[in-house]
Amino acid sequence: MADKTSSEIAVQKPRQPQISKTSLWLRNTVSTGIFVVLALFPLLQIAFDGYNYWLHMLLYVFLYVIMATSWNLIGGYAGYISLGHNVFFGIGAYLSGMVFVFFQISPFLTAPIAGLLTMLGGLLFGLIALRTRGSTFIISTIALVLLVTELLDNWKLTGGTNGLPMSMITLEGQYAKIPYYYYLLVIMILSIITSYLVRHSKFGLGLRAISQDEIKAEVAGIPTRRYKILAFGISGLFIGMAGAIWGNYLTYLRPSIFLPVNIGTTIVLMAILGGKGTVSGPAIGAAIMIAINEFVVAKLGATELNIVVTGLILIFVLLYFPEGIVGTLKAKNLLPSFLDWD
Amino acid sequence: MIQIIQVLILGLALGGVYALMSSGMTLIFGVMRIVNLAHAAFIIMAAYISFWLFKLWHVDPIVSMAVTMPVMFLVGVLYYKVMFASRADNPRFTDITVLVTFASALVIEGVLSYLFTGIYRSTNPIYATKPFLVGPFFVPQSQVYATAISITLIISLWLFLRYTRVGNAIRATMQNRNSAQVVGVNVAWVSMLSFGIGLAMTGAAGSLLSFIFTFFPSKHVAWIGMLMSLVVLGGMGSLMGAMLSSFLLAVIAAYVSFYWGPTWAPITFYLALFLILLFRPQGLLGKKMDG
Repeated sequence: MADKTSSEIAVQKPRQPQISKTSLWLRNTVSTGIFVVLALFPLLQIAFDGYNYWLHMLLYVFLYVIMATSWNLIGGYAGYISLGHNVFFGIGAYLSGMVFVFFQISPFLTAPIAGLLTMLGGLLFGLIALRTRGSTFIISTIALVLLVTELLDNWKLTGGTNGLPMSMITLEGQYAKIPYYYYLLVIMILSIITSYLVRHSKFGLGLRAISQDEIKAEVAGIPTRRYKILAFGISGLFIGMAGAIWGNYLTYLRPSIFLPVNIGTTIVLMAILGGKGTVSGPAIGAAIMIAINEFVVAKLGATELNIVVTGLILIFVLLYFPEGIVGTLKAKNLLPSFLDWD
Repeated sequence: MIQIIQVLILGLALGGVYALMSSGMTLIFGVMRIVNLAHAAFIIMAAYISFWLFKLWHVDPIVSMAVTMPVMFLVGVLYYKVMFASRADNPRFTDITVLVTFASALVIEGVLSYLFTGIYRSTNPIYATKPFLVGPFFVPQSQVYATAISITLIISLWLFLRYTRVGNAIRATMQNRNSAQVVGVNVAWVSMLSFGIGLAMTGAAGSLLSFIFTFFPSKHVAWIGMLMSLVVLGGMGSLMGAMLSSFLLAVIAAYVSFYWGPTWAPITFYLALFLILLFRPQGLLGKKMDG
């Protein structure tokens, strides 16, 4: 941009034509429709039973949509790639889970608090780690996840590597998944709305300026450091809440459930596959990746091949489609309007 | 007192192997600005080659370096050619390499566990469990051999970089890629060669650690954390820095594990990595760089 005169910039066409009224209407109807269908889906289970598998799969999708969408705030908008975002997941789960085990307060009540505390942790970590950038930042996020794993592995109070069991929800099997389902659905919708609001705010504009050129952004008066730290913290909020619910859903706290490095990678992969820096991209990427994983595990029956497929897709997307599905389609104006939530 | 010196000896005896493991990674970063997170996975791949050579044909793991080093060299050249050769000019190159190599590590881990399952493996030549007894001290033979070979290899690499024409070209590329190109260094070729050499080092490291540690495919995650801390602490791209930090952290980890128990030893590395990133990101002997 730098070598273009202002008049040249002025005559440049916007990259995308303005959204027409009909497509806006279509987009709002279809996306609202998706959420209505999701909200009504458990009724099938209540009425007929036998849909627990689908509920479980949807729970998985919600969880990863939350994580990928949250990751996108710092990784997509600001361009600070964190490979350790599952650390928030683990912290949220442990906070709520321990309160549940030791004080018998249900995670359904403590999840928002766990989310806020996780966010606080994110702010603190961001305060120190976001002084670095590029590959150094990426390495520091891996270091964080490894460090927290080691600490939890050795913490006697939570049972170390053996973990901490929690009592199950006192509902019959037919209904047991439904509270978790709605809770995660709500968190997911909140996280997507947050992502949308951030993108359309001055804050989000600042973050995107940082990802373009941080030094210029700073010169332009954007408080880059505060913005980055804030984005990193907010991205911890919903992941922490989801972690609290997920820990209770699995009735087990164990570092190896929440903190394996490949969960952190999967989050990054989903966001990049769908299109980092877009609102709908991470959600779409998460849904697609879970479908692929489930297919690989169910059809090929090997979890080892699962990470091979994950790795290969990640390499392929990174090298050939760094803008992801949504970004690539959008650049070619091929993106159906109902998937464009920007 | 005897115990304290004993722990020091055990730490030093491991340091050489750590140094060999991290030397390739630091070379690769220095020349190409590639943060090779697949490094530990390649080491485990080499360890498996040594393991099967030992198991099937009773090839001594030290001898099998003659196989693993050239094999890993070729793997490195091919890998570089396919993944990175055409992308070295991308401004976000380093960021991309972090993710691509990490994804490659996952692929390698998955393929290895599919082929060889997750069973803990190690080779057991006769010297693997025998110690030298020096006065009151206990010095494991395996670690002495491994460290001696490692140091020899690193010094050869250092001499090669210092005193040969190709070595000078590599060092020139490390210092300034563009200027090296201007004075006639074939940077693309040098990069490919250095990646090959870096992975040849993982070949040697794999063979050596096959009789020092037990390994299994997903072990690379723990090792990559350790390697990153060694490389970052030493200063990314600095061979001598990597060597220094390897011995330093190996000794500190030995003491941590002696006083607090072996489960705490890995924390030494992660904590060191964390602190160095925050307070001196350029490392002990590294030059300041951005990105």
